[in-house]
Amino acid sequence: MTVPKEYIYLDNAATSLPKPRGVAEAVAGAIGRAGNPGRSGHALSIGSARDLFAARERLAELFGFRDSARFVFTENATGALNRAIKGLLRPGDHVVTTSVEHNSVMRPLRRLEGAGVSVTVVPADPTGTVAAAEVVAAIRKETRLVAVTHASNVSGAIQPVEAIVRAAKARGVFTLIDAAQTAGAVPIDLSALPVDMLAASGHKGLLGPQGTGFLFVREGVPLVPLVEGGTGSRSEDDHQPDFYPDCLESGTPNSVGIAGLSVALAWLLKKGVASVRSKEVALISELLEGMRQIRGVIVYGPEDPAKRGCALSFNVGGADPGEVGRRLEREAGILSRAGLHCSPNAHRTLGTFPQGTVRVSPGPFTTRKEIRACLSALRGIAPG
Amino acid sequence: MGRSESPEVVLIFRGTHQVLSAEKALKVGGVAIRLIPVPRRLTSDCGLAVRLEEQSLPKAREMLAAVPIVPASAHRLLSSGEYEEVSF
Repeated sequence: MTVPKEYIYLDNAATSLPKPRGVAEAVAGAIGRAGNPGRSGHALSIGSARDLFAARERLAELFGFRDSARFVFTENATGALNRAIKGLLRPGDHVVTTSVEHNSVMRPLRRLEGAGVSVTVVPADPTGTVAAAEVVAAIRKETRLVAVTHASNVSGAIQPVEAIVRAAKARGVFTLIDAAQTAGAVPIDLSALPVDMLAASGHKGLLGPQGTGFLFVREGVPLVPLVEGGTGSRSEDDHQPDFYPDCLESGTPNSVGIAGLSVALAWLLKKGVASVRSKEVALISELLEGMRQIRGVIVYGPEDPAKRGCALSFNVGGADPGEVGRRLEREAGILSRAGLHCSPNAHRTLGTFPQGTVRVSPGPFTTRKEIRACLSALRGIAPG
Repeated sequence: MGRSESPEVVLIFRGTHQVLSAEKALKVGGVAIRLIPVPRRLTSDCGLAVRLEEQSLPKAREMLAAVPIVPASAHRLLSSGEYEEVSF
């Protein structure tokens, strides 16, 4: 599958395009034969259950964790984050988070704030990077959770999650990483990183279809299901099962989408996330270097490409980011994303609120030629 | 299976994921199995179970212990058509 040839797709931080070969075919194949997984003993139900099982096993392999039952499928990263946050926090609890979180973390937290949960938002520096020591210093005796993004969807800044997770764990505080921007794009090893929960979408760096995502929950996290219902298991009991993944997977899942995700995960396992990362760092380096040489272009986030994910935010002088995005599309077919990127606090941190930024985000199939075309288009737009 | 003299044993697991995990491990160990709907005489569950020959039980125990995965219960099919719970 390819992106229509009149476009250069640089919006992989929103959803990845194109998908690896075979993903669309797997979705189309599944829609013609997907029974309801785990609900019946017939061939098509078992076939669908096998699709889910294969995808779950691939997730576990990709993230270096031996028990695939701890990977719960969700509709997207937002669904995973809501299950983690609302399933753990109770009135009287305190949570520490950062000023660069997406609204999929902040909005659930703000809602809980009205129900007796207290929230500390640790400010990031002007590059959009938070200091691990400041996050750890915000932990108090009633702190139940530290929730932090792995990489900002605005500045691209990779956060010091390992130091934060280890320090929080040492203090008996649960940890949640929002890996929406890094899963499949930056290596994550759950056998080495002792994070309690990790949420991600399936349609960004994991290269699967929209409508897929997952939440990883380590043993010992007392997560209460946000949604109860049919699981196909323990049907004689009208109480929710207490075992994984069933306890957090009620209702018919997106078997069709997950069949596609499974093929994408197989592609990533073969290619290797480290190899994808190395290619994307090279593309980001070329973009950063090129943008720095264009007068009037202001780039946000860390200067070192190794400290960034794939989201790269910039502005052109005082121009309206929406207008710059429209010109990139109209004049060069470049698809970017302008605005606040569902992360108002991240923009406040960078000093780009409320006008926002233009964000470009290459993916594993982006070429150097496309990066050069983007730079060339920007040279035409910048006042010079 | 089916024509063998060895009685059939049905392994019940907690959920579909555990059934498929067991299937994977048992296949790696060369244990011949079949996935079947859970017999209604055993539970009212609507899920899947693993059927194997009783003579394969020692190997099955070894393979599942290595995962590790433990069946919720194991049942031998008697000639009367009834099931008798066996230890696993």
